[in-house]
Amino acid sequence: MKFQLNEKQLGYLMVAPALILVLLVTLWPVAQSFYNSLFDYRLNDPSRSERFLSSNVDLERYANEYFYLSRDLELLESQAPDGETADAAASIRTEIEGYHDSLITENGLEDQYAEVEEMLASFTAISDSELKYADIDNDLADDYKNYLDEAQAELTALADSTDSEEFATTAGNISGTLGTVDTTLIESNFIGFSNYQRYLTDGRMWQSMWNTLLFTIVSVGAELVLGLMIALLINRAFIGRGIVRASVLIPWAIPTAVAAMMWGFLYDGQTGIVAHYFEQFGLIDDASVLLSTGAGGMFSVIFADVWKTTPYMALLLLAGLQTIPGSLYEAAEVDGAGKWQQFWQITLPLLKSAILVALLFRTLDAFRVFDLIYVLTGGGPANSTESISIYAYITLFSQSNFGAGSVLSVIVFVSVAIISVLFIKFIGSDLFAGRSGR
Amino acid sequence: MNKRAGIGFYIFLVVFVFFVMFPFIWVFLTSIKPPGEIFNNFNWFTADPSLASYENAINNRPLLRYMWNSFVVSTLTTLIAIGFASIAAYALTRLPIKFKGLILGIILAASMFPQIAIISPIFNFITAVGLRNSYMGLVIPYITVSLPLAIWILSTFFQKIPWELEESAKLDGATPFQTFRKIIFPLAAPGVFTTGILVFIAAWNEYLFALTINTEDVWRTVPVGISLYQSQFTIPWGDISAATVLVTIPIVILVLIFQRRIVAGLTSGSVKE
Repeated sequence: MKFQLNEKQLGYLMVAPALILVLLVTLWPVAQSFYNSLFDYRLNDPSRSERFLSSNVDLERYANEYFYLSRDLELLESQAPDGETADAAASIRTEIEGYHDSLITENGLEDQYAEVEEMLASFTAISDSELKYADIDNDLADDYKNYLDEAQAELTALADSTDSEEFATTAGNISGTLGTVDTTLIESNFIGFSNYQRYLTDGRMWQSMWNTLLFTIVSVGAELVLGLMIALLINRAFIGRGIVRASVLIPWAIPTAVAAMMWGFLYDGQTGIVAHYFEQFGLIDDASVLLSTGAGGMFSVIFADVWKTTPYMALLLLAGLQTIPGSLYEAAEVDGAGKWQQFWQITLPLLKSAILVALLFRTLDAFRVFDLIYVLTGGGPANSTESISIYAYITLFSQSNFGAGSVLSVIVFVSVAIISVLFIKFIGSDLFAGRSGR
Repeated sequence: MNKRAGIGFYIFLVVFVFFVMFPFIWVFLTSIKPPGEIFNNFNWFTADPSLASYENAINNRPLLRYMWNSFVVSTLTTLIAIGFASIAAYALTRLPIKFKGLILGIILAASMFPQIAIISPIFNFITAVGLRNSYMGLVIPYITVSLPLAIWILSTFFQKIPWELEESAKLDGATPFQTFRKIIFPLAAPGVFTTGILVFIAAWNEYLFALTINTEDVWRTVPVGISLYQSQFTIPWGDISAATVLVTIPIVILVLIFQRRIVAGLTSGSVKE
């Protein structure tokens, strides 16, 4: 019998790959970001470059150090100038060997340790983090680390009290090795929500949040008003539609980074023509104001954004306007309604869903703003144009602090989710009406 | 509203177009000035135009390589996104499956994801699989942007194709897959093409992933490459304006040829028919 899928099963089969891909590249990373944000996780610090829920040992470095340690401890015993020091050295050796044995056996690391030693012997670097790191008991790690400190102090005391130079040198070497061994025993860097606490009370976070909100509200507001005006004006038959449409599309189509570079040139205090004209017309005191003061920087960023996205807004609204039947206006005219009344009674209510959808897309876009500000002002001067995305980026990649940076990422994500929910409440199911069909 | 356009209207239009295009005009005029002239004055036109800035822009940094990288990455992204999206969008608009609203909701939500919220795990992933500084290293994260966008726009276009054709195909004994390939796809081709252009432009313009993942100069894309023309000590405005002109030309051509389609694609997602 031939195997045949019915339409429904086929439908699920066809949606599945895309849906799985979308979930894989969005939900999974967001979950990861959230998980990372619970750790003191820094790429540039070897003891924090992984996320450890429990204590850990860096076996590669530990095995390497332990090799020298056990050799030196035996040497130390043989170099002891008198019976008392020999006993002391022997007791340190026994203690450390005891801890070493429990570290390996109590955590069941015999095989892993042997494998690591073998690789070290053949000078192979270990890149597999499964092999390199091993979970160990928290209490044991604590005790071991405490004893390492103790032994260090004891060795220093022994070295000071003896006359034998070779004994003192060996004791010094061991003391140094013990310090290194200490760093290979890594305590858990799980810190729960304390990074959230830190960043929710962080002045720079709130400053960048405020900058982002100011940027979003002012630029989207200006784009809506200007876009609506332009859409109303060009919603008629005229010659040269193509030219207008193309000129409106080009700012939208070029990369934001390229637009930001262009505006950086136009705003420049020495060679920038926009700065020059603004100064000539008395809008600003000095041409350098635009990029060197906080208020100037914020204005510059918003102005460039309005330039780049108003045309897009106008296009969306124009498409909305064109779906309003002309007969409505004719009827209103017959009833004696003025232009202003027509706008408030017909245009605006019928345009409402187009406006809300355009606002939703633009607001979320503006809230995530990164490249425009990053290229144009770099968040400066003095962080006065730094958006929350830029702050997160700097924490993540300039400071290599993935834990704290993830906290900021999660804050951006939650804010975007809140904004979307608010908008969807207003828009309702209109958004899907045209698409999901029968 | 069929108001007739008067002379005042055309004056407004000219002023409007001039303001929108002004940055391009000025940057173009700057790019053909001899480099020495840029810093001294605000003259609009130069007496002796020169291509020196263009030579510098191409020689000082691998601009053509950036453009090639952008082209390859955007093309691959577009092909992958359209491939997956057209199949999914067809099922979402045409086949009797449940949870359509929910699935579309998830896809729309995914298209609004802030990139900064997903960049660090993606960065870790790309590093772990050894794809830093490669084309695939960018194509994979670009799926986050392009696939939801493509599904969203394509499902609008598919929705507009009349059902009758499909029903008659079904009566003639075509399987759903045959219907898709022989009836829907040819009819939907213009919509698919439009979606392709929009996805291509979105991928071409992406900045954050490109900045983070491809850090070697030979693998950089146009937006990142352009932003690195400014050095710490001097800002070579001549080079920058010439480079800007060079990377804007392909987009201007694309827009001029496909403007109707682009507008149709942009507005399809936001307006009920």
